[in-house]
Amino acid sequence: MIALEYILLAGLLATAVAAPLCRRLLNTVIVYLAFSVIMAVLWSLLQSPDLAITEAAVGAGISGILFFLTLRRIHALKGTRDD
Amino acid sequence: MTDAPGKGALRRLTDWVNGEREPKDQTLFVMEKRRLSRPEPTETEHAQRERSRLHRFLRWYPAAAVLICLVLSGALLCAVLALPAFGDDDAPIHNEVAEHYLEYTREETGAANAVTGMILTYRGFDTLGESCVLFLAVSCVMLLLRREDRGADDREEQKLLQEDAIARERPDRILQSVARILTPFLLLFALYVLLGGENSPGGGFSGGTILGCGLILYAAAFGHDAISRWFSQRVYAAVRTFGLLLYAGLYGYYIFLGANGLPCAFRLSLAIDLAVGLVVACTVYGFFSLFQRGEI
Repeated sequence: MIALEYILLAGLLATAVAAPLCRRLLNTVIVYLAFSVIMAVLWSLLQSPDLAITEAAVGAGISGILFFLTLRRIHALKGTRDD
Repeated sequence: MTDAPGKGALRRLTDWVNGEREPKDQTLFVMEKRRLSRPEPTETEHAQRERSRLHRFLRWYPAAAVLICLVLSGALLCAVLALPAFGDDDAPIHNEVAEHYLEYTREETGAANAVTGMILTYRGFDTLGESCVLFLAVSCVMLLLRREDRGADDREEQKLLQEDAIARERPDRILQSVARILTPFLLLFALYVLLGGENSPGGGFSGGTILGCGLILYAAAFGHDAISRWFSQRVYAAVRTFGLLLYAGLYGYYIFLGANGLPCAFRLSLAIDLAVGLVVACTVYGFFSLFQRGEI
């Protein structure tokens, strides 16, 4: 379990550093969502399932939808009909 | 500026609210007439200046962002170093308050899950404030993003209608099949998390978010018309307000009981969970709907 935690922590650091370095905003959002998923697994490993459920639902679900909708609204998504 | 006789400040305010223009100030008039000491910059000069300012800003922005991030992380890490060791007996959190919470949560709030009992009842003011923040956030988004009814010549509305027509003609088969299977289970799971928050992990916030996710999936797969048939703007406003008022009422009742040392007649945290869940679900769905279409 400890090894898994270290791997997840490394992934957390990697996604946290990678998110602001992405050139496209869409990639930034996707990397941020990956951060949230890793964080949710880590919360459940740290024995706080309440936080894990909320992190998975809010961090990886709702905020992603809101980010995508915002990107669409400011015409930052390539390949949609808005373009 | 001197008031016209018989026209008080209140009257002027109501006139201003009703859209009447203020009588023009004479000093402003004189200022406008005065010749400018420097000639006004031309369009190209202005654009050039703005662009150079933007370039300068973009050069400094990443460096400043990294610097601020490092300083903040350093400050937080210093704070972590000053924390007592994990599981330390002398740590300041190990006092009679935590003991009381763990021992009496079941008795005093009826919740087996101490976390739920704590956030919904012992620290209920905190959660009530959070619910109010969510309510206000949706209201602000509504103020900013709600599409006004400007008739058929509105460009945005035209585009929305066009997109709706495309979606009706060529529905997304994958999304619809997945949504048809997944939505009932999602809503059921949301209810489970919402109502089971008393005894197991979950509660109002997570359950409400999952409920909102289910609504969003349904709306995204089957279109806005399908969901607004039973979840119209009036229903939405009613549910949202009912949730917040229910929480406020229940919490007032809880404070009354606690102050008078009375036992609780029903499972309070279950009802509060439900109220919080309604507010959160409405917030989540409202954000989605307003960001996407500018209406509920």
